[in-house]
Amino acid sequence: MTIAKSFTEVEATCCTTAHLILKEHDKSYWVGGGGTPMMSALLVQKLYLPDLTLVFEDGNISAQPDLPIDPMMAFVSGRINYRANAWSTMNGVCGHCSLGLYDYGMLLTLQTDPYGNINSSMLGNDFYHPGRRFGGAGGANEIASMCWRTILHCPQEKRKFVKKIDFITSPGFLDGSPHAREKAGLPPNTGPYRVITPEAIFGFDEETHYMKLLGHSEWVTVKDVLDKMDFEPIVASKLEILESPTEEELQVLRVFIDPRGGTIGGGKWINL
Amino acid sequence: MEILTSGKGELFKLPDPDGHRAYMRDHRSHALTEKLMTEQEAVKKYVSDGDYLCYDCTMLMRGPSSIIREIIRQKKKDLGVGARFTYLVVGLLNGAGCLNRVDVGYMGVGYFNLLYSHGVKVTEWTNCSLTMRLLAGSLGIPFIAVRFLGGTDAFQYSGAKLVNDPWTGQPTVLVPALNPDVAIIHAHQADIYGNARIFGPSVSPAEIAGASKKVIISAEEIIDNELIRREPGKTTIPYYLVDAVVHAPFGCHPGEVAGKYTSDTEMIFEALSACGDPTEKAMEAYLEKYIYGVANHQEYLEKRVGLPKILQLTEQAKIKQGYS
Repeated sequence: MTIAKSFTEVEATCCTTAHLILKEHDKSYWVGGGGTPMMSALLVQKLYLPDLTLVFEDGNISAQPDLPIDPMMAFVSGRINYRANAWSTMNGVCGHCSLGLYDYGMLLTLQTDPYGNINSSMLGNDFYHPGRRFGGAGGANEIASMCWRTILHCPQEKRKFVKKIDFITSPGFLDGSPHAREKAGLPPNTGPYRVITPEAIFGFDEETHYMKLLGHSEWVTVKDVLDKMDFEPIVASKLEILESPTEEELQVLRVFIDPRGGTIGGGKWINL
Repeated sequence: MEILTSGKGELFKLPDPDGHRAYMRDHRSHALTEKLMTEQEAVKKYVSDGDYLCYDCTMLMRGPSSIIREIIRQKKKDLGVGARFTYLVVGLLNGAGCLNRVDVGYMGVGYFNLLYSHGVKVTEWTNCSLTMRLLAGSLGIPFIAVRFLGGTDAFQYSGAKLVNDPWTGQPTVLVPALNPDVAIIHAHQADIYGNARIFGPSVSPAEIAGASKKVIISAEEIIDNELIRREPGKTTIPYYLVDAVVHAPFGCHPGEVAGKYTSDTEMIFEALSACGDPTEKAMEAYLEKYIYGVANHQEYLEKRVGLPKILQLTEQAKIKQGYS
């Protein structure tokens, strides 16, 4: 394995996530449609674990998608559902998640707050007259509510890590108070687990549910990370330095998964 | 049952299990009767102004594109839509002035402002809360409990309620049954009685067929009832849930039907651009070219898609495992 010297921020996010999945390879993953969550899981599947349990909300259970990803390769397409173990339905997968069969959910968010709440709906203060409207929940609310642990992807920017998000589309620890999720009707012992950015990884304090910086990339300092947040997270006493992407991983991402660079080409270039 | 919190979103269809049962008794054929008709007849007979529609999948993937175009061609008004995904369907119906309310799970990109400027009402849901509402609708029950949605703004703007579960005593989210007026489902195969087969994963064809008052099936292929009876395990939707069967080869175009043909990327982007143009000029041109300017689906295929494209898209659908 050769540590890469040059990659994009999105590639860094995918590789950090892949490293996390590899540590828990016998778990099941419900991945939100498209983007970096799907790329990260496909990277693990293609390079390391062809049998990774990977579930999509159209009922696709553990497929081995026919790569590369193309612009129209959305849910219910033949290619994304190639070589699945089972084809179910949206309620089928939702039921399996409700039963407690899915360990990790992986999602993108527009904004997050100290309690890992997720906004994928809108920016602005008025739901009926949004500043900018986005896709909304889709299946993200189900994933963040019922998977045992949720992994979030978010760019490391001050406007993204905010004290209060404009709209809670999908639940994190809500207001952070004890049992807030159960009181809202969600299953116990669930919630956000990690937030992954191109340059850092966060967890949550077990008592207060407040976001906690656990590690950062080798090319930034703690101050660099904190400067790109609108609130100050707890900082772990011992910080992990994240493994950088390897040449092998980048090759798989760039040659087999996303040769057009539609997703992985995103963000700034990092040159070590 | 104690209600703890209620979402403030407008319910476009109130649960009415007894009304639905009576409708099924009085209006649905319970016998094995022939239902094959043209798309014009099906839409004329079974889609009325003001109806609330549900479609399975989208115009990108195994959705009933040809029937949606016929609804626009017949200039239906004040329709409601329960959209797990809105892609293209909501954009086109809105652009054509057919729409006045949407329950949304996932909003596609590009045309939100046009929904607001056309005065279309939107109630927020999530994908599975809509499919669970449809499941309740298909079971003839008034509501169903779900383990998600609670605690969020998505809940606040939906029509869900948080109650104390009478058995466990725990706070539990309830969503109301959804019984659409019309379901439109594009299947791989159907017979003339409405027995329909869908291959590959799907959103919720069985739920929307079961939940809806009127059900239109369009199918890539009309097969003999004898084939249905030889492999009954392959029937996704049985005949007595169906009112109309329409033969619609390439019925999802510009989208894909898994195992049959791939999506027509070029024409999808043309439609997406039309949906996203704030001046609505591109939409006007799109509707004229692809919908008003052709008499029916067959003419659409002949004059706007053409045989070379059809052969090319069929050829590209090389993955056939399981899709037959």
